[in-house]
Amino acid sequence: MFSDVNKDFKAKTGDLMKRGIAITLLGATMLLAAPFASLAQAPAPPTEPGPQTPPMVAPAKPGVFTATKKGPTGYHLVVTGHSFTSRDAIEHYLAYRAATLTQEQKNSWFTLTETHAKGDTVPASKPDPAGLRYSFRMAYWRPMWRTKSAGSPAWKSWSPFSGAAFPDAKSISDYEVSADIVMHKGNMNDADPLAFEAGAVDDWLVNQVSPPT
Amino acid sequence: MILQKRLMVCASAIGLIAGATAPASAAPWVRGYVVGQYEYAFRYGGRPDFARGAEIEPGVDCKHGASVHFANDTQTKIAIARQKYRSQKEIDWVAKPPGLDEVRAPVLTRFWLWVRAVSYRGYKRDIETYVNPWAAEDPGQPQVTSRIGDGFNLDGKIKPTDFVSPDGERGVDNNLYRAWGCDAPWRGNGNATLALRANDKMQDGLYTMVVRVSGNKDPMNDDNATLEIGYSPDKIVKDARGSVAVDYSYRILQSAQYTRLKARIRNGVVETEQVEHLHSPRIAWFYDQTGDANFSKGKVRLNMSADGLTATGLLGGYRDWRELYAENTFAQNGGEQGVREHEDHVALYYALRRNADGMVNPRTGRNDGISSVYRIKAASAYVVDPENLAMEVPKLVRDEERMQSFQAIKAATIKGAENRVPQLVPPGTMEFGVGATEGLMNGLPSADFFMSTLYRQHYANEDEDGYPPWMQEYKKHPEGGFQPKKPKKPAATPAQEPKKPQNQVQNGDRVVADAKR
Repeated sequence: MFSDVNKDFKAKTGDLMKRGIAITLLGATMLLAAPFASLAQAPAPPTEPGPQTPPMVAPAKPGVFTATKKGPTGYHLVVTGHSFTSRDAIEHYLAYRAATLTQEQKNSWFTLTETHAKGDTVPASKPDPAGLRYSFRMAYWRPMWRTKSAGSPAWKSWSPFSGAAFPDAKSISDYEVSADIVMHKGNMNDADPLAFEAGAVDDWLVNQVSPPT
Repeated sequence: MILQKRLMVCASAIGLIAGATAPASAAPWVRGYVVGQYEYAFRYGGRPDFARGAEIEPGVDCKHGASVHFANDTQTKIAIARQKYRSQKEIDWVAKPPGLDEVRAPVLTRFWLWVRAVSYRGYKRDIETYVNPWAAEDPGQPQVTSRIGDGFNLDGKIKPTDFVSPDGERGVDNNLYRAWGCDAPWRGNGNATLALRANDKMQDGLYTMVVRVSGNKDPMNDDNATLEIGYSPDKIVKDARGSVAVDYSYRILQSAQYTRLKARIRNGVVETEQVEHLHSPRIAWFYDQTGDANFSKGKVRLNMSADGLTATGLLGGYRDWRELYAENTFAQNGGEQGVREHEDHVALYYALRRNADGMVNPRTGRNDGISSVYRIKAASAYVVDPENLAMEVPKLVRDEERMQSFQAIKAATIKGAENRVPQLVPPGTMEFGVGATEGLMNGLPSADFFMSTLYRQHYANEDEDGYPPWMQEYKKHPEGGFQPKKPKKPAATPAQEPKKPQNQVQNGDRVVADAKR
């Protein structure tokens, strides 16, 4: 990704075993004392990491993403596709669209409304105000799925709370992943595990996602 | 008529009372202070007598105690397991490096190995995390849950999320406390490790901060006073017990770290106006961090003791949270400070970001600032103007290049966060343990695995050990522990000069560039 210097480098591990033991002392000294060299020479200018053009996610083809308003600040989001890549990639794209839509609507964070059913074996997430606080936790971004297998016209639902295994990726010919979100303004309720800071999610995903096909 | 007389009597009585409480003298006065303690105004909520158990001093501020990251192999394992590109073997081996007992310094080797591993936690293996924290998942950070906090009502509003001051003032804005108040090295009852470190270095001469209050009435009650705050080029003088000595003279520079504010004094409490930009020295423990704190909508409250010997107070406003992040992360390098202090700067980055509450950026619509309050404790001093009023803050010539590297890494961090384009680590730093980690792999049977698996950025002209050019001097330094192959006999040299007292913070002797003291 970065400079040629990095690409060309090969770790010279063979020599490492032969190094003087005194290097350990160097590490110890650096640990508590001066953080790095006493810079006898000026550092070279930083190498630019390639183009500095802000990233942009390609627009999705019609019908791939839909957002239906649900209540005053809620939306039902759906991503549809045929070529199944991976569960993570598709769910991340849905999260990215949730984040960008939230910002477009002049809101700063959103919450996922989990869909639970009788017989679910995976427990619902619970807030822990005294525990860790997060800007986002992708482990709690758990949208609902519908899939079709090749040769079968029927849709099958899959819930991340059901405890059932995710459908066999190789057999998926069509899929639909959906989430209900509610948008909010102001400082986020970071004690809620289902709260996602839209800007932070957008930043983290913008270089990672692309629209499904 | 009777009513008229009574009114006259009342008026006379009020006049007498007013006269009695008026200042005994109404003459120009000045009080000066040198700051001996300067730290974030975090209100510790733990019990001072708490015996350490599974949690580090739980309290009303942080119910599960101070946050602890990278304190053991389990925590490190959790942090690196978040990156899906790592194999289970890599995760297990980083957490517990095999053959560690075969190296001379197992703790140190594991330390620098962890530094290397946790410095790369981005969505791709080659993105350095501390320069690009936005590219890593949020590891989570506990936040202050108490409602009581020190500070000011900076926005003039009383919001449900605001703190209440210990003396009952509502609407207190101090979101830096909320975000970082449970962070281990900044939490404590006067013993937070980084607060101690910063104060120690300040008292040892890294920088000096002074306050001068002046007026024309009574020092304890004056509604037309002036408070000046700024940098002094003169080192703090200590007494025989190591405390800040009182009544020494310090110059105050009207430089980039100086502000003059209008103030009112009631019973010894100085309350300044709120100004658009309040400039004062930053909290620092290395020279590269020093500089102007630049609080937006800043103000100062100072409580002067009646005898004039001491003062305590608060200084606050909105600070650019990206700058706060960089100042706390890059004094040394993110991984080193994180593993040593058990803090995770990625978690701290996100905590700042989501608690940002001021300095709205008109371009992005986001808050670039976070309400921040610093606490000061000061001792009486003569604060005087320098002969040359245009005198600038002196530079530590030997560390100027390091300062430039710090500024370059800070600029790269802010640029990456704004553009969302991953940035390289500029040269001149020791980020991701460059050189040090390689050096400590000696004798480790699993070294080959780590060196070929854990990514690191490389620089032009590195030597065969992986040390970049700016590490060469350090590598050769006798105190750095690098032994020459053939020890030379010591040449007959003149006797070494004894080290100067107050030789500061391992940064070398202070070199005053533009002023001789």
